[in-house]
Amino acid sequence: MRVVLSIAAKDLRQRLRDRSAWVIVFVAPVLIAGLMALAFGGDTEFRADIGVVDLDHGPAAAGLTQVLTGPELRGTVRVREYGDAATARRAVDSGRAHAAIVVPAGFTRALRGGSPSPVVVLDSVDHGLEAQLARAVAESYVAQVNADRLSVATAVAAGVPQEDVPRLAARAALLRLPEQVRPEGMADDPLEVISYFGPSMGIFFVLFTVGFGARGYFAEQQQGTLDRIAAAPVGRGALLLGKSLSTFGYSLAGLATVTLVSWLALGARWADPVGVAVLGLGMAVAVVCLTALVIAVARTERQAEGLASVVVFGLALAGGNFVFASGTSFMHRLALFTPNGWALRGFTDLGTGVRGWAAVGAPLLGIAGFCAAVTAVTVLLLRLRRTP
Amino acid sequence: MTALAVARATVLRALRDRTALFFMVLLPVAIIVVIGITVSGFDRFRVGVVPAPRQGPVARELVADLRSDTGLRTRVFGSAGDARNALRRAELDAVVVMPAGLDEDVRSGRSVAVPVLVEPSGNAGHSAVSTVSAVVAGHAAKLQAARFAAQEAGGTFETNLDRARGVERAASPIAVRAETVDGVSEFLPLGYSYSTPTMLVLFVFVNALAGGAAIVQTRRTGVYTRVLAAPVPSRALVLGETAAYLLLALVQSVLIVGIGALAFGVSWGDPLAAAALVGVWALVGTGAGVLAGALFRTPEQVHALGPSLGITLGMLGGCMWPLALVPGWLRTVGHAVPHAWAVDAWTELLSRGGDLGAILTDLLVLLGFAVVLLTLASLALRHRLTTSDRT
Amino acid sequence: MNDAAPQPVLDCAHLVRRFGDRTAVDDVSLRIAPGETYGLLGPNGAGKTTAIRMVCGLLRPDAGTVRVAGLPVSTAAGPAKRLIGFVPQEVALYPDLSVRENLRFFGRLYRLPRRRLEARVAEVLDLIGLTARARDRVDSLSGGMRRRLNIGAGLVHAPTLLVLDEPTVGVDPQSRHAILESVTRFGEQGMAVLYTTHYMEEAERLCDRVGIIDRGRLIAEGTPRELVSLVAERDRVRLTAVGDLDAFARACRRFTRVEGAARGGDRDDVVEVVVKDARSLLPELLDLAHRQGVHVRSVEIDEPDLETVFLHLTGTALRE
Repeated sequence: MRVVLSIAAKDLRQRLRDRSAWVIVFVAPVLIAGLMALAFGGDTEFRADIGVVDLDHGPAAAGLTQVLTGPELRGTVRVREYGDAATARRAVDSGRAHAAIVVPAGFTRALRGGSPSPVVVLDSVDHGLEAQLARAVAESYVAQVNADRLSVATAVAAGVPQEDVPRLAARAALLRLPEQVRPEGMADDPLEVISYFGPSMGIFFVLFTVGFGARGYFAEQQQGTLDRIAAAPVGRGALLLGKSLSTFGYSLAGLATVTLVSWLALGARWADPVGVAVLGLGMAVAVVCLTALVIAVARTERQAEGLASVVVFGLALAGGNFVFASGTSFMHRLALFTPNGWALRGFTDLGTGVRGWAAVGAPLLGIAGFCAAVTAVTVLLLRLRRTP
Repeated sequence: MTALAVARATVLRALRDRTALFFMVLLPVAIIVVIGITVSGFDRFRVGVVPAPRQGPVARELVADLRSDTGLRTRVFGSAGDARNALRRAELDAVVVMPAGLDEDVRSGRSVAVPVLVEPSGNAGHSAVSTVSAVVAGHAAKLQAARFAAQEAGGTFETNLDRARGVERAASPIAVRAETVDGVSEFLPLGYSYSTPTMLVLFVFVNALAGGAAIVQTRRTGVYTRVLAAPVPSRALVLGETAAYLLLALVQSVLIVGIGALAFGVSWGDPLAAAALVGVWALVGTGAGVLAGALFRTPEQVHALGPSLGITLGMLGGCMWPLALVPGWLRTVGHAVPHAWAVDAWTELLSRGGDLGAILTDLLVLLGFAVVLLTLASLALRHRLTTSDRT
Repeated sequence: MNDAAPQPVLDCAHLVRRFGDRTAVDDVSLRIAPGETYGLLGPNGAGKTTAIRMVCGLLRPDAGTVRVAGLPVSTAAGPAKRLIGFVPQEVALYPDLSVRENLRFFGRLYRLPRRRLEARVAEVLDLIGLTARARDRVDSLSGGMRRRLNIGAGLVHAPTLLVLDEPTVGVDPQSRHAILESVTRFGEQGMAVLYTTHYMEEAERLCDRVGIIDRGRLIAEGTPRELVSLVAERDRVRLTAVGDLDAFARACRRFTRVEGAARGGDRDDVVEVVVKDARSLLPELLDLAHRQGVHVRSVEIDEPDLETVFLHLTGTALRE
């Protein structure tokens, strides 16, 4: 065991003497995660400044404004009133309002029949989501009016005589749409950007240590120190274990730094510190396995470097390290073939209030499965090209 | 011309290196695809739909209406649990849970509540609910009409529902008309047109930095010393290396521009302006790469620091997300790095149809960066080559 | 075997190692007694390094056994490895660690207890004359210092058998002298030394016994004196000449009385010929040279040495 620790300590000492290693494992992920927190931090809330132009001055138009200022959209929508369409247009053009709804004159009258003129939603290309919201609010409101008009028309089509229309209209005005949406809040915590990107960047940069470890191995082979170690009474197992231990410790230290800084300084929140630690451990093991694989596949330092780059970027891309809570379901499924994808799913769950096994169970199994597969391939390759 | 001989050797070495080729073309294209897929559909709410087991035709029609609505990106889930998880993981803005027995309730005249799950502290959640509400209301209007007609004129619910559909198609309901006021975007278009130019900016720079590692390597093998022992002035050596990396950066740019245009349908705007921008940006990257090659001690340092530096500068400069999204002070800080000016210029070309004149300021600023970087780089490299005993 | 003979420190029996079709080491057996310095002499590619790698348990032999002080050596981490100090041909050290850190690390691999480790590191530092530079990083040392440290790293655990693989290749004369001095001292201290080289004068100067290896086979073994006596009645003729010397050497070998001829020595204008009776053959050789258009500048007739032995045994030169 002392020999294993000596080898691990020697590797770590060399690693830490290299200043670029410090940057890549400790500084860069913190810096980039911090940058992301700064860019998005606190202001991930969706807010819309929506202008309203009331040319109708009737109760129907007032109802629309009430929807916008109602309890559901409070905190999301800020209403600005404009006197005429031209002012609203200028406001949207200059970006002071994201979108504006123009209620035409005669809107209230249209409820009792008559020729309707359209409600106009003024939007700008850069605020698609806000425009969509304004359109949706206007459509929902207009929908009840339209439903009443449709009810009357359908009754007439079904055979009620035309002269009954005023009576029908009066009765239809009392109707309520038979399907209503009922919003329900979920009981969990919302996912903070930093709770995802902190670990994500940590994992991304820790994956770089695969290259360090593999290159270090080939450098030792080339400079002959590997032979020296083999000439000592040190088993291959002890050598492997020592080298793995240093990679493991190094990766773990990197992940711990990023998660701690994200938590203490950047406001990341996870439900379960033990879960965070366990995911970090799992990821560090995955890095060890990947390093072994790269060493087994490559034959030279140069090949190891190239292969490690391909592995790192491939995994980071497929695992979703660059992508926050978005992408297609294909991407989400692809991520589950990577250990980092599983770890990030675990961090996402921990970041949204899930605790314990429910959050980290599946990710741990996923990482374990990946590690097992990688180890199997590594062992197979080593068997095939065993030389001594 | 000795500079040409130096350039030729460097280009040959770079092209033989398969890892470098991976970083040069394959990796950028892969990232362009991932980001291109990711940043499409930002203008639509992401809604999950959980159909009820054994749902009737009315419920099926509502699901179909939700799926075909242009304001929603809908994904159908098999179980409410999966949909809830996706919502919790912020993969969705809202989840519509179709109530069981919707058809019976509607037929028997009862009112139906359609639950929509959202995150309460809600980013886009409540706004997504509004869009869902509009779709549901449109659907409910026909049901209301069918029920009303059945009460007033008799007939079954089904026949009246068919009738309502027909009347709706023929009638002219009060419309909501969208009118775009501000058609000039401050952002790049979404999808590949977003990811390709930004990744072009990012990777030409990152790759040029990686080229710096090759310079450090050559320095350490003593090849430069050997070259300088030949009748070659250090000026020619610096010029040759710069020309080689400039050529590589241009080749990479042309490849990415070509792949973007042919495979992803990116339209690069005014060709003259785009060519000028590609050229100037290649110069900026080359300057940074040669400077890195002169300043760093070991190739490992460059390999380790290059990507992090490149990514950080790219983030600051708006390669990862539009600078219009970040707080004002960060936008100002971002313009301290050349990337911001390059992305601004691409936005002008791709989104606003600008020409050479429109991006002249950006080009001049970038040219300034290039001149400063290249001057520093050649000074530093010449200093290294001519004064230090161990280059 | 004679029971009274002391147990050999190294006992290799019938070592064979093949790489594909090529047999790198072919049935090599050798023994080294305590305190003995044994030189394995042979040209590049003769199988010296392969043999040494099997001795140190870095390479598994296809056949044969290696025992150190009676313990079998294998590629596993057996106890025999504790007795071996291995000094690779290249400078196998961590350039980014200090001198002391390197020595400590290699000492720890042999499980030295902490206090003994520190004592040994101090002794070795003193021995290789690097005590003043103990805190410096290896990559700041001069080439000669690195060479000395390279040997020192194999000594920390006080091995019974020190194995040096061509320790003087590419070393400046001063460092070379220091290395040879210290090897002599190891022998005097009772350490058994296995030493490979293709410099015959080193072998002659240092080694108690020499084995000559060529094309994987151990073709002769004995003290330098014994080996030289193999060629006692022979002379070595050194012809300094200008012309196609390779062709000339080949032509010389066709004489029945010529036992070996090759471009030789450290100069490329020399042909060495081993003959039974130089005086009677010399006119014929000069005549041959004349016919082949080789212009002979000078002729020396030397006492035989190990180089002569090698020429005699293999017909070709040691250094090719």
